[in-house]
Amino acid sequence: MSNRSDRLWMYGTMVKSRHFEALIKPAYFEGKTPVFNMAKGPLPGEMHLSDGQEPCAVGVCAHLRPGDTVTATHRPHHVAIAKGVNLDAMAAEIFGKATGLSGGRGGHMHLFDARVNFACSGIIAQGLGPAVGAALASKLRGEDHVAVAFLGEGAANQGAFHEALNLASVWKVPAVFVIEDNAYGISVAKRDCTAVARNADRAAAYAMPGHFIPGNDPDAIHAVAGEAIARARRGEGPSLIEIETCRLEGHFMGDAEGYRPAGEVERLKAADPIPAYRNRLIADGFDTADLDKAEADARAAVDAAFAAARAAAYPQPEEAFAHVFA
Amino acid sequence: MTDITVPTGLWNDSDEAAISAWLYADGDTVTEGAIIAEIMVEKSSFELTAPASGTLHIAVAAETPVTAGEIVGRID
Amino acid sequence: MSSPETIAAPRPTRRLTIARAIAEAIGQEMERDPAVLVMGEDIGKLGGVFGTTTGLLDKFGAERVRDTPISETAFIGAAVGLAASGMRPIVELMFVDFFGVCMDAIYNLAAKQSYFSGGQVACPMVLMTSVGGGYGDAGQHSQTLYATFGHLPGLKIVIPSTAHDAKGLMLAAIRDPNPVIFMYHKALQGMGWLGTVQRSITDAPEGDYAVPLGKAAVVRKGSDITLVGLGLSVHHALDAAARLEKQGRSAEVIDLRSIAPLDRETVRASVRKTGRLLVVDDDYMSYGVGAEIIASVCEAGILLRAPPCRIAHPDIPVPFTPVMEHFVLPDADKVSAAAITMLEP
Repeated sequence: MSNRSDRLWMYGTMVKSRHFEALIKPAYFEGKTPVFNMAKGPLPGEMHLSDGQEPCAVGVCAHLRPGDTVTATHRPHHVAIAKGVNLDAMAAEIFGKATGLSGGRGGHMHLFDARVNFACSGIIAQGLGPAVGAALASKLRGEDHVAVAFLGEGAANQGAFHEALNLASVWKVPAVFVIEDNAYGISVAKRDCTAVARNADRAAAYAMPGHFIPGNDPDAIHAVAGEAIARARRGEGPSLIEIETCRLEGHFMGDAEGYRPAGEVERLKAADPIPAYRNRLIADGFDTADLDKAEADARAAVDAAFAAARAAAYPQPEEAFAHVFA
Repeated sequence: MTDITVPTGLWNDSDEAAISAWLYADGDTVTEGAIIAEIMVEKSSFELTAPASGTLHIAVAAETPVTAGEIVGRID
Repeated sequence: MSSPETIAAPRPTRRLTIARAIAEAIGQEMERDPAVLVMGEDIGKLGGVFGTTTGLLDKFGAERVRDTPISETAFIGAAVGLAASGMRPIVELMFVDFFGVCMDAIYNLAAKQSYFSGGQVACPMVLMTSVGGGYGDAGQHSQTLYATFGHLPGLKIVIPSTAHDAKGLMLAAIRDPNPVIFMYHKALQGMGWLGTVQRSITDAPEGDYAVPLGKAAVVRKGSDITLVGLGLSVHHALDAAARLEKQGRSAEVIDLRSIAPLDRETVRASVRKTGRLLVVDDDYMSYGVGAEIIASVCEAGILLRAPPCRIAHPDIPVPFTPVMEHFVLPDADKVSAAAITMLEP
């Protein structure tokens, strides 16, 4: 069982992550009515929210230090927050402001925070290769840092996935690959495009342990991830973890989700992992006052980040030309 | 003269709809059954087809909110 | 011996968005030719993220309209194999920016199949793909990459600026025995959520017709300056031309329609007349479409009344935040300002 302080941290961080998405949503729709024009409003472009997938981020990142590397996907917010990315700069980046992580150049799918070795990218499965490289760097330097690559279940069908797992094993690097299986790649269900029922079984093809975790359970994820990360730190090589999670919102904001069976989203929302975890913590003897405080602190941090992001200035247009080269 | 009505029953009443584009201009000749406008509800698109052949008269401009059953133009 | 003139009943005009024109063309060819099939990510139930295959799954079923896994190298490679075996696959690469994960199948297999086989084995496939930005989708989802593809031998590449051309070019592309990259600009699809360019919604005949690959079109006649564009930038050029007309200047606008084969002669003929050349495209500047067009005109020895000009996206990744993105993207303002300078005596 995960230790008490980790569990409280996981709860507070899940609340922080969910509250972040809850503030993003109305901001995203600002300016996009009556016609939903993606270019309009303070948050133009696409937006991929992580509601429901918070347990994956906290269960894994509870074991990580700033020196450990994490690469994430087009759906990055929960992972970034759990990794300790600067919340103010992250919100500012999503709003395209000068105070953003990259001064507005990257936006929501391209968040980089070098202080905590976090990066994300919008091309499916392309975070895996860099994670292998970061893990190799740690090994070559004799450090005990690990690299964790997050990916969706759809990415497990992309060539880069197979190459990266094979290479991680051949080089025996301290990497952990975490599949967040939310059952859909945009509109295509996993069962319609994946040859195996369990992606964890694919680990065997690359001579590494594969673990499947059902039920979107933070404690179960914490336990398995802890094992895999400890194994990596001991120099015993990479692992693959497959987590059964759920996507409570559409693939991107504005997704009509006509491809989901009737009632599915309602059922998933009824099994929302955050209130479920709160109830479990109370049943395990946590003081509601502690939980309430964790929640209040989390919300306050997010509220402050959004207020700062809204107030911050946009960059000068000519700044577009900076940082193309170092 | 035939009214052009926003289709009913295709989306929840609470969702905001708007004509994203008229495919023809006011005064154009249209054929019955042709798609004459696109209506958007969030990111979904619905077709508005001409209920008759004749001259199109547009009453509600693009990007204006509309409701199911609303008359947005006529053909005569 | 004369016969009484038959006056055909005028065909009623029907307007389509480019997205619907593409889906209609594919549907018509699939009906006509059982060898045609279409595959890609989310092209089945969803009808394509950009509406290119709306209605096709219901009409033709899952054997011929296939949702694929996220495995571009595999399914584009499979398209090459299908084409080699006599089928006519249409494949969608959701965003041209994703070519990085599957380029080998495109430029080393599809593009070289006819050549390496000495003509024995053709590659009659269409790769359709979305291009373009301007709506905040940032550096990995906003590129056009015209020059990247245009540079590689063995591929035909087209990009329509209207629904009429979209349907006609798609029909021609499917029938062509060569690999054709069919690019469609996101801003012109008529999807509503990407904005609407009214001028791209045009009449497209219901029946069969083709717009030839490899032919540019003069979409506006003029005498003082030649503006060349492709896809979205044709509309920037037309908007700029309208402004120039108000100042008493006459701009000729050419829609390239085809990146490869490139119709250099239509551009040369125009510039022989006007003496001034401005090329506008939203790809990266260096080694780009503008460079190729200008070189093609200059090496023909055509005398110019002003130095040629190319307006393009600068050599930087497409930035996310709108103040930067719109600062760097070509638009009608930039075209008219440059044209006015060129027209000064």
